[in-house]
Amino acid sequence: MEVLNTLVLAVLATGFLMVSRRSLDAVIRLYALQNVLLALVSFGLARGEVHFLLAGLALFLIKGVAIPWYLFWLLDRLEVSHEVEGYLSVSLSLLLAGLLTGLAFRVGAVFVLPEAPLPQGVPVALSLVLLGVLSMVSRKKAISQVLGFLALENGVFLLALSESHGLPLFVELGVALDAFAAVFLAGVLIFRIKGEMGHVDTARMRALRG
Amino acid sequence: MLWLLLFLPLLAFLGRRERDALVRLSLLAPLFSAALAPFLLGQVAGPFRLDEVGLFYLLLTDLLYALIALFARGYFPEGEAWRFYWAGALFLFAAHGAYLAHNLGVLWIFVEGSTLASALLVYHKGGTRALEATWKYLMLGSVGIALGLMGVILVYALLSGATLDWGEARALVKGANPEGLKLAFALLLVGFGTKVGLFPLQAWLPDAHAEAPGPASALLSGTLLNVAFYALLRYTALAQAAGLFPFASGLLIAFGLLSLLAAGLFLFGQKEYKRLLAYSSMEHMGLAVFALGLGLPWLALFHTLAHSLAKTLAFLGASGILALTHAKEVGRVGGLFRSLPGLGVPFVLALAALGGLPPFPLFFAEFKAVEAAMRFPLLAVLYLAGLGLAFVGLLGPMTQMGFGPGRPLEARGLDLWALWLLLALLLVLGVFPPVGAFKTLEVVLWTR
Repeated sequence: MEVLNTLVLAVLATGFLMVSRRSLDAVIRLYALQNVLLALVSFGLARGEVHFLLAGLALFLIKGVAIPWYLFWLLDRLEVSHEVEGYLSVSLSLLLAGLLTGLAFRVGAVFVLPEAPLPQGVPVALSLVLLGVLSMVSRKKAISQVLGFLALENGVFLLALSESHGLPLFVELGVALDAFAAVFLAGVLIFRIKGEMGHVDTARMRALRG
Repeated sequence: MLWLLLFLPLLAFLGRRERDALVRLSLLAPLFSAALAPFLLGQVAGPFRLDEVGLFYLLLTDLLYALIALFARGYFPEGEAWRFYWAGALFLFAAHGAYLAHNLGVLWIFVEGSTLASALLVYHKGGTRALEATWKYLMLGSVGIALGLMGVILVYALLSGATLDWGEARALVKGANPEGLKLAFALLLVGFGTKVGLFPLQAWLPDAHAEAPGPASALLSGTLLNVAFYALLRYTALAQAAGLFPFASGLLIAFGLLSLLAAGLFLFGQKEYKRLLAYSSMEHMGLAVFALGLGLPWLALFHTLAHSLAKTLAFLGASGILALTHAKEVGRVGGLFRSLPGLGVPFVLALAALGGLPPFPLFFAEFKAVEAAMRFPLLAVLYLAGLGLAFVGLLGPMTQMGFGPGRPLEARGLDLWALWLLLALLLVLGVFPPVGAFKTLEVVLWTR
């Protein structure tokens, strides 16, 4: 249990760092690290059952290896600055992140179901979801919004682990596949945005109103 | 056999990039599925099972898809048609999966899949506006659906991780913790509600519908919104099985009314006719959710059917008008009723149907909803106010585009008979609404 507690806290720490770091490379590396930690959590909960080992492994391959690799490749090819660029300063982001985490721990109790195998993971999962939303709304670059979405998605995954040992394997795989397809599609769109408009700044995409 | 039904839409990829082959395959696949599906009623394969409600939406989707694919043949130039038919095939595959799924998790996967496929439909050929709309849709849609997944997870955990099959879930859910279920339902409503276009989560809807090429807008409005609505139907049935319908009903009524009133306001002063139709979709999905909240699933089903037919017709008409006039604004199109009756008459009548005029089926649906809402006079008043707003919002554009001043036009190369077929279906449905059949569907939804 001690180990699991530490891992869950480490996941929360990566979530915080992802909000505060200013370099996209660092954020992608943190995301990969977060996935390694989550895979370890799912191994920790497994107690030798094949289902969890497989889910953890698949998760690690798709989200810990394939997606970060794709994002690095995208970042290289795009030829844009590797700076995050947001509306908020680092200190303000951290303050908001702290408030949101406090909120998550406060309401987390409502979400914890009686038979949850990892109750301490629930508030952390909610924090990741809220921090992901924070990144999505406070950042201008399309690629950092994708990273915010991925953090949010990891929160949802941790929620599934903490509440019910994860969803059935085929559902879990389908969900991961959807996430990968969404990121892939977003990457293609980012390329086109760069090609058409010469930047990847969503704050400057405002042709559609009303 | 269900597997065959699931994968049939992907047959279109055999047409590669040749338009004529693609059109033929895109007609063959849905028509063949529609012919095959009734015989597969009740069959089971893995996480899939076809029941009456799924069959109803499957048939509706297949038939509309076939009509739209046929119309699109004259709409897209040779070189870009494949983009539409490829994305359309992926979308139809996802829709088939969603209607065949008998498992809450699998349903979620296919609803998300339909989001991705329809993002491709919106994107089509690109351009700054389409890119912006697609990006917004992808981001908002994905976040919404991720919240929905949290709801799915909670439901699964509340059933002690026993099952996600909803036949079994309905039996087990009676013993589950009601507080947890309420939370799950709220998350699911927000998640799938984003995709249905409920206020205040509708921001993607007008942009996506307005920027997508015409036939794609028709697909989005006529079939995609139903996929998410279908998921809401299933979860409402689950809440009902748990004895939580009063709670679900309050949320559904509130979101439905809010969407109706907000859409009514947005409809005013809308200058582009495709955006106008998009807000009208938001209005009607709100009405369907409201009907579901009143405890009348049959009416909600009927409303989505009538809306799908009328909106497909309206968007196909709008894409025809856009192709002929190259004008997006209401004020630059006029006199369609006289100058181009083949296109103008069905289009203007579709607007009348969407405005809720008799003898069209939406009038019947709205009348029934008001009748039921009379139990709570305040609800009925708000409902009527929303309907009035929306009607007035549609009336101006309808008179301008139908009878206002405008240049004479010629319909070049467009297949217009799909529009007349839809109009005929609408009239039949409005004059002889098959209430009995829909009540049977309601029983299936509520009890199985």
